[in-house]
Amino acid sequence: MKFKINRDHFANGLAQVLNVVGSKATMPILSNVLIEADKDHLSLTTTNLDLGIRCRIKAEVKETGAVTLPVKRLAGIVRELPNVDVSFDASPNHSVKLSSGGSTFRIMGIGKEEFPPLAEFGDEKAYSLEQGELATMLRSVAYAQSSDETRYILNGVYFSFKDGKLSLVATDGRRLAVMAKEMEVPAASAGSIILPAKTVAELTRLLDKGAKVKINFNDRRAAFQIATDKDTSGLVDHVYLYSKVVEGNYPNYHQVIPKETHQRIKLERELFLQCVHRAALVCSEKANSVKIKLTSNLLEITAQSPDFGEAHESMAIGYSGPDLQVAFNPTFIMDPLKALTKDEVFLELKDEVSPGVFKTLESFVCVIMPVRLS
Amino acid sequence: MAKVRILPDRVANQIAAGEVIERPAAVVKELVENALDAGATRIEVEFRHGGRALMRIEDNGHGMARDDALLALERHATSKIAEAADLDRLASYGFRGEALPSIASVSRFELQTRAAESDAGTEILVNGGKFVQVRDCGRPVGTRIEVSHLFNSVPARRKFLKTDQTEAAHIVHCVRLYALACPRTAFTLIEDGRVVFRSPECSTLEERVAEIFGKQIAESLVPIETDEPGLRLSGLIGRPGVGRATRHEMIVFVNGRPVDSRTLNYALIESYHESLPKGRYPLAFVFFECDPAAVDVNVHPAKREVRFRSEPQVRGFVIRAVLQRLRELGGAGDATRAVSLEAGGLRREAGATDPWPQGRAATPLAAGSTVVPLRPPETERRGAESAPYPRPVVGPAALAVPSSNAPPIENRKSEIVTPAWRFVGLAHGNFALFETAAGLVLLDRRAAHERVWFERLVGQFRAGAVPSQRLLLPLPIELDAIAAALLLDRLTFLATHGFEVAEFGRNFFRVEAVPAWMEPGDAVPFLRDLIGAFRNGTIPERDAGLAHEELARLAVAKAVRLPPTTDEAEIRALVAQLFATAAPLTSPQGRPTYIELNHGELARRFNR
Repeated sequence: MKFKINRDHFANGLAQVLNVVGSKATMPILSNVLIEADKDHLSLTTTNLDLGIRCRIKAEVKETGAVTLPVKRLAGIVRELPNVDVSFDASPNHSVKLSSGGSTFRIMGIGKEEFPPLAEFGDEKAYSLEQGELATMLRSVAYAQSSDETRYILNGVYFSFKDGKLSLVATDGRRLAVMAKEMEVPAASAGSIILPAKTVAELTRLLDKGAKVKINFNDRRAAFQIATDKDTSGLVDHVYLYSKVVEGNYPNYHQVIPKETHQRIKLERELFLQCVHRAALVCSEKANSVKIKLTSNLLEITAQSPDFGEAHESMAIGYSGPDLQVAFNPTFIMDPLKALTKDEVFLELKDEVSPGVFKTLESFVCVIMPVRLS
Repeated sequence: MAKVRILPDRVANQIAAGEVIERPAAVVKELVENALDAGATRIEVEFRHGGRALMRIEDNGHGMARDDALLALERHATSKIAEAADLDRLASYGFRGEALPSIASVSRFELQTRAAESDAGTEILVNGGKFVQVRDCGRPVGTRIEVSHLFNSVPARRKFLKTDQTEAAHIVHCVRLYALACPRTAFTLIEDGRVVFRSPECSTLEERVAEIFGKQIAESLVPIETDEPGLRLSGLIGRPGVGRATRHEMIVFVNGRPVDSRTLNYALIESYHESLPKGRYPLAFVFFECDPAAVDVNVHPAKREVRFRSEPQVRGFVIRAVLQRLRELGGAGDATRAVSLEAGGLRREAGATDPWPQGRAATPLAAGSTVVPLRPPETERRGAESAPYPRPVVGPAALAVPSSNAPPIENRKSEIVTPAWRFVGLAHGNFALFETAAGLVLLDRRAAHERVWFERLVGQFRAGAVPSQRLLLPLPIELDAIAAALLLDRLTFLATHGFEVAEFGRNFFRVEAVPAWMEPGDAVPFLRDLIGAFRNGTIPERDAGLAHEELARLAVAKAVRLPPTTDEAEIRALVAQLFATAAPLTSPQGRPTYIELNHGELARRFNR
């Protein structure tokens, strides 16, 4: 196998697949990237068995073939090469000669036979979405995923294709974020998956390469074909992301979203975020909560910690309901405010034991449960 | 012929010997006690073949005149008491007047003695209880007794002796005890012609411990001295975290007499509840003194056991005294001790003087307010008539009512002494290595984290300000009938500690809120553990203070998570928080939070 490639294209391609490789792989082959040369492009593939990524990059292929090389080392070398033109020559004993300008590397690889194949698309349920839209939706909910391994069901984002819409849901049991989008859902293709947190992170990272992303899934796995038509750094065709899904039943999230609205206030997102952020600066691990107090046309945010001090912030708002106050974990308030992009958000409150609900005009809901001092 | 008869003295003595002289070490014990009672300042003990072949005890006490010496070999003859009332004001080790005749009845017994006022000494030889001869001899003032062929007249007893090594170990232990009891007397112990230890007159107990138990042990001890009317405790106790697998190095003296006292032993173990892991025993060389009338030593012929007139009072006093001392040690003890060592002070002196940082010592009130009471003694838990256990005054921080708009801010940052340790690195994600002036310190992150959170939680519980995070998805928990009943009874107790649990059907509950620091995923397993603790009665809800601590102890062990990743700043913050706690040396389970490898230790390891 023999090819010539642009250094920056090669480095970009390797960067796409690099993250999947774990630091302590039990199988040495899993820390390698599979490089396949075919006609006018290369395929780069990595996998950790739960998650795999493949991308294609332009190359001048002189001789087709395949080899695997340790991806972290290789990416490090390619980035540093002196000349834009790189030539790659693999001998049948899997030793690779990499040369660029005056530098030459000889790298020992492993044959492609040991590399576990990525599962390909079958006749699963399939949808096509705008990349930008899916990225926004993912960012709007991903922070609410649980990182607690004992509740693995919650360690991911729930995708539900049902009732004429796609809903993305994440919760850690104390807060829940939902973002929905109207779309055509044929009855035969209705279904849902829980996409693991690691896949969500990789997917979000990859979703800016082109117009469309195609989703295929069944009960056990999901695959994303991310078009790369906008990308100019050598990627061709699409990036293929394959992932196992979290198997299990996602909790019924509908029932925790309050049906009625009690007190609703309109907030300037940035301003409110800054106020809460400042107030939270005095919070400690011991006293990690901020109190929100509503009085006529005034919103006050207070926080205190016994061994540091206290903070008080006030904001003018339009409010004419009864006085009320409720305390929240400041992170739970700030996370959705940071993730959203709209300038205006709505906050719905009821009393000190009822959840607070953030909403936007584009069918986003984030429910956060209050903290109480018993 | 009458069937009942009075036994001859010789037989009676042999019977008494069965009680008093059970093994060679008992001979040594009785004779060393006699020597000490005679005011000796130098005692030499020699034995061969585990005491079987020969035991020789020589002293420079006041000796005896010939008549006294002869009389001493009669039963119930003693110079130490005169009437029954004297038993209530005993100041001597012996008083029964049984030892000499008993020993003489089961061995070849040779006594040489001279009183200061006599010109010549007396030598008496008795063999198997039979009087052989008495004659003049030359010797300095004092007494020398040689016991050989022990148990020659009672072969059965001889067969029951253990190996020479075992018997020798008993003798060595016995002499050590008396050497500790009387640091001002010089002791020499010789086994088979080899000196086991030779300790000159020592001015303090510390020196004596170092002489006969070694410097290493002496360095891990701290002095203790406490008085209460009629009671006094002094001596040396182990630093928190220094423990042993057996109780052999827990040595207790009552009015100078080495004894096995369950009361005192348990009081010591109990005091170290928080400073040592379960199943480890503290090091202690303590002298307990009280009115001789308040203690009965005439329980056991060998006087190994004693009874106190008021056991709960004694127990309460010892626990108070030791806890108080351990709490004082809760400062940045080791670090400062090491610094004073660097400054050229002798280690032993550094240990004897008060090495604790000024900040802590000078502000006892403020420090007291942040002290978490260690586990109170069992006497109190059982509601016995013991003296009330001093509960630390609840400080301003604890009184801060969260509902008030501006709780007083606890201003204690300035007093906390954080040691100047240089962070070197983190090993295995758990052990932080520091370079200090005195050497190296290895900190167990888990243990330190538990200690910090333990105090944090106890503080929250005591202040009644437990932030409780309501859950979006209530957690179901199904219990068996007994556990369900237990839980139902304690719903309010749980609510005050951050858990909101609602009954949701028969033996079925829903957890609707958990303490803010807890991951929801840990709530159900933790509640099950907690119900288990309720069932075992280890969380007494009646005693709120104790329940808070037990709950916090369980929580830090089971449900407080160690942050997965750390950088230097976090480790530094942890150290600062740890040293702001009341007992930074140990985790709530009594495991050490850090260990110190001093320069001496390092040099030793590297053969430098």
